[in-house]
Amino acid sequence: MGLLTILIFLPLLATLLILALPISVRNSYKYIALAFTLLQFALSAYMYSNFDDSLGGIHNYEGYQYVEQLPWIRLDLGTIGILEIDYFVGIDGVSLPLLVLSTLVMLMGIGASWNIQKSTKGYYALLMLLNMAVMGIFAALDFFLFYVFYEVMLLPLYFLIGIWGGDRREYAAIKFFIYTLLGSVLMLLVIVGLYFSVINPTTGAHSFNMLLMMDPANYIDGSFFGFISNYHELFGVPSRWIGFAVLFFAFAIKVPIVPLHTWLPDAHVEAPTPVSIILAGILLKIGGYGIIRVCYGIFPDIAANSNYWLALIGVISILYGAFNALAQKDLKRMIAYSSVSHMGFVLLGIASLTAEGLSGAMFQMISHGFLSAALFFLVGVLYDRVHDRYIYHFRGLASIMPKYTAYVALAFFASLGLPGFSAFIGEAFVIIGAFNAESMATGVPRWMAIGGSIGILLSAAYFLWTLQRMFFGKIRVKGGQAWQEALTDLSRREQLILFPALALALILGIMPSLVFSKINASVLQLIDLIQPYL
Amino acid sequence: MNELSPISPSVASLLVVLLPFLACVVQALLGRKSISGNISLIAIVSSALLSFFAVFLPVWGNSPMAERITWFTIGQTSFEVGLLLNNLTVLMQLIVCVVAVPVHIYSRYYMKGDSGIHRYWMYLSLFCFAMLGLSISINLLQLYVFWELVGFASYLMIGFWFTRDAAVQANKKAFLINRIGDLGFLIGIALVYSHVGTLDIVALFDQTGRFVQGLTETGGLQVVQKDNTWVTLAGLAFFLGAMAKSAQFPLHVWLPDAMEGPTSVSSLIHAATMVAAGVFLLCTVFPLFNATSLLVITAIGTITALSGAVFALAQYDIKKILAFSTISQLGFMIVGVGIGAWDTALFHLATHAFFKCLLFLAAGAVIHEMAHFKAQTNLDFDPQDIRNMGGLRRYMPKTYVCMSIAALALAGFPLTSGYLSKDSIVVSAYEWASTAGGFYFVIPVTLIIVSLLTAFYIGRLIFKTFFGSFAMQSSVTAHNRPHEAPAGMWWPMSVLSICCFFPVFGLHPLAYHQTWIIQTFHARPGFTEQETAHLIIPIVLTVGTLLALLLGWFWYVKNRYPISQQNRWIRFANRQGYLNEFNELVFIKGTVGLSRLLYAFDRHVVDGATKLFTWTTQQLARLIHWFDANIVDGIVNWIANGTYYMGHLVRQVQNGQLQNYLGFALTIVILGILYLIIK
Repeated sequence: MGLLTILIFLPLLATLLILALPISVRNSYKYIALAFTLLQFALSAYMYSNFDDSLGGIHNYEGYQYVEQLPWIRLDLGTIGILEIDYFVGIDGVSLPLLVLSTLVMLMGIGASWNIQKSTKGYYALLMLLNMAVMGIFAALDFFLFYVFYEVMLLPLYFLIGIWGGDRREYAAIKFFIYTLLGSVLMLLVIVGLYFSVINPTTGAHSFNMLLMMDPANYIDGSFFGFISNYHELFGVPSRWIGFAVLFFAFAIKVPIVPLHTWLPDAHVEAPTPVSIILAGILLKIGGYGIIRVCYGIFPDIAANSNYWLALIGVISILYGAFNALAQKDLKRMIAYSSVSHMGFVLLGIASLTAEGLSGAMFQMISHGFLSAALFFLVGVLYDRVHDRYIYHFRGLASIMPKYTAYVALAFFASLGLPGFSAFIGEAFVIIGAFNAESMATGVPRWMAIGGSIGILLSAAYFLWTLQRMFFGKIRVKGGQAWQEALTDLSRREQLILFPALALALILGIMPSLVFSKINASVLQLIDLIQPYL
Repeated sequence: MNELSPISPSVASLLVVLLPFLACVVQALLGRKSISGNISLIAIVSSALLSFFAVFLPVWGNSPMAERITWFTIGQTSFEVGLLLNNLTVLMQLIVCVVAVPVHIYSRYYMKGDSGIHRYWMYLSLFCFAMLGLSISINLLQLYVFWELVGFASYLMIGFWFTRDAAVQANKKAFLINRIGDLGFLIGIALVYSHVGTLDIVALFDQTGRFVQGLTETGGLQVVQKDNTWVTLAGLAFFLGAMAKSAQFPLHVWLPDAMEGPTSVSSLIHAATMVAAGVFLLCTVFPLFNATSLLVITAIGTITALSGAVFALAQYDIKKILAFSTISQLGFMIVGVGIGAWDTALFHLATHAFFKCLLFLAAGAVIHEMAHFKAQTNLDFDPQDIRNMGGLRRYMPKTYVCMSIAALALAGFPLTSGYLSKDSIVVSAYEWASTAGGFYFVIPVTLIIVSLLTAFYIGRLIFKTFFGSFAMQSSVTAHNRPHEAPAGMWWPMSVLSICCFFPVFGLHPLAYHQTWIIQTFHARPGFTEQETAHLIIPIVLTVGTLLALLLGWFWYVKNRYPISQQNRWIRFANRQGYLNEFNELVFIKGTVGLSRLLYAFDRHVVDGATKLFTWTTQQLARLIHWFDANIVDGIVNWIANGTYYMGHLVRQVQNGQLQNYLGFALTIVILGILYLIIK
């Protein structure tokens, strides 16, 4: 059993352990979850340090590391051939940083769950199940396996929001569930279509192997998704375009892009703090990851031709999300919309198809991962104390909670792209990459880069405005004296959770090579894959 | 290598940058335990000494040095950080250090007893770190990093008293307007990067001041064609960055509001150093500008110089007058860059740093004493309003002398440094205009007018503050009266006032060509020198300055003020040309309105579509349910009911009564017979 498999299935072990233990030892559940997640984190850190930077991955089997490939399902279907599904996992520069990020954000999530009282057994069991699914998604290289993990992820999340959430939790949970399911059900159709278009050259059977799907030579001539001599059309649209669009639609819901984003504010507002942290920190990244790995990897020809529209969607998301964040009066909703805006940078960077833009997008995903986690955690701190997060109900918090204010200010400035913090590197290189796209003739015009940069300005506006309204000025809180007493400064546990996230933002801002060195080979490989179709 | 310093200039300059950073970190860790400011003071003094002896002396006038290390690699491109030590950067670093030292000493007394003083020292050291790092950056991206950090430090300082609403409004405004400039800077970087492929300042601009684009095939340097549109755009983008940081019209609006910060901070950040960073940037990337962008720069600089001076005329807040004066003087520097004589801009930057810093420190001393007096007498008045002052020279003679020296330097009085540097810009502008001819004379003429206005408004400030009779005279008693500032405050001021005289910059009192700054840089702008201009313009300026001061004397000291306070023009200047109101109405209300509109759109249209989809699905489900209940199940029920009804009908026959059975049988028989008959 390889390291990657251990990393994926450790949380499942935790789930089983938690389920098996009697309710009388319910105080141990969180420690079990913490121990397993810590182990995962150590494991991912080990994998990070032993990662070979020179290997690219993407569509190249030899470029993947920690690879495990075992036959999983073999079924003779008579005339159709043999059904061939593998347990096939491996990581490259695109997935490694996201795996490390996921283990870290999971740790933060466990830390934020420390005070959960409501049916802890189910809670931690589901959280660990979610953990497993997420790891699986980032590691799976067999499309069927990927899909299984993708669907497994939905289930715990539905219950985590629907049971442990706020007042309108059922509404938010079902909205989130249906939205994601809508994307993934359509994705299944494309997976099947791809399956029947691709032949494994060694066995001669159809295959779900993603790497095989990335090689034009493996497609059957004239098949539905075939690369060459493909005349299939659906409603007058070439079939490969359909395949790309459907997959993009599925992942775009996750990112989320405008206008498929409305599940996000509702889910965030209703979700408990730890789930918000995981939702923003990890699950949104699955969208970006899916676009790079699946849409761009399997449909490089369409990627090269659709990037104008993707970049346009990215810019719209940036600006639309930022303007909406500016209009919010609920702190958590504001941060949710700021996520929409920041994830727009990811899409813009990916669509620029330049090394700078793609690296910037990857970096932005990592940076937004723990920064949004920190932001949602900070909202949770306030909500824990007074069960309110309406911006206008607070004023002059800096005088009541100086440490908290310092952390909030740092997190806000880090998020608005202050140099020295990671978000700056991500956003600046997305902008530079988008600018460079015109010189590289990838089809993204410069005005989009300028549009994106206005998003940077707006992010400063909504963060600073919030800072001014809630934290500065004379003390005036809605709950009066009772609130002032309830609003205690950060506890040691809370600082222990926040400090690593902000420290990491600072470290990555000063030493971006920690990420760039790992992803560079993969980014170049991806560009090589798409370049011929430009 | 200079024998004075045992360490190399690169290491020394790195130390100069890192010492304040270290001080910032230590101060942050110590928090309230350290309020003396000694850590920051020791750091900045060491930086200043190192900067002068180990960096400035070895490098000044010699060939530049550069050190780089790779920061990170993206694709095939490596991004580097490093130090660039040439005349420009070491001069900038030295100015920052030398101005920062007296401000640090002054702050120890000015900020004494403030409850947040530990934060003050932390922010001050952070600012010094960022500003010193900015001055020696070798890479435009690195420069941008420090550029924003400087803005961040300024944000923290403006909002230092965060319980004051005005202060936190002001720091938000400052940061956001600077952000607009930062976007320009970033776009400029992106343009240069995508066309030239590097951001290294040494690689971009060669020693002779050309903008180069790598090597040609023959191995020579390939000079960028400057008439390309993108070069113009990049030039304007960089200028946008400089406009925000150096408070150029119309992005100057943040600077007057920034006066909400402590006065010691205003003197260092918002007068002497940070606001000059824009000018420094323009000098750094000067080879990039083509004729079009230079003309825009000149025009904006002139407008700024004029509008700043006009607005300064009608302010009552002592710090706001100085803030507008800073804006106006920055306009001069920008004009210097725009006409190609960037050495004069840099010279003015250097002299201005000293006398404007001193003006602010002296104003701070006045405010300090006025606030003290206010606290003693329990009166309610604004300690920064010059209408509440007057006659203070009797109480604060040392401050009065220091401030007057700085005011004379600002007004460009002979023998002061301001005379040399301001003349250098005005004379160069005149020469530039006479080369270009015609309409371009607007620029030097405006600058001359602005110089006279400068003399007038600074005269007004001095006269209203120190001359005449004290406005609060009735409250003055033997115990309660304004005092001279403490020694720790006026010592730094007197050191700075020495720096306002010409010998610091050159031995000849009247010829700016012989100052060491101009001689070393010696930019070669494309216009011819005119001997007459060098003679006539200084005379015009000096006589005009004297007349303006005389007029001020009559108006403000002799109380022969002829204009009504309600004059429309005075109100216009006092309200800063209603620019803030305009911005509030158009940009802020517009943005907030748009954001509300988009949120309504999001809720009702985008989320509405989701809801509509849900509703449609539900209605469809209901319809199908109805169909299922009424049609599909209806048919089943209809058949069942029909069968039942039939049975119900037929069962009547089987009622067990013999008569009925016989009757039925008879009927059937009769019907049978009838059938047979008819057939």
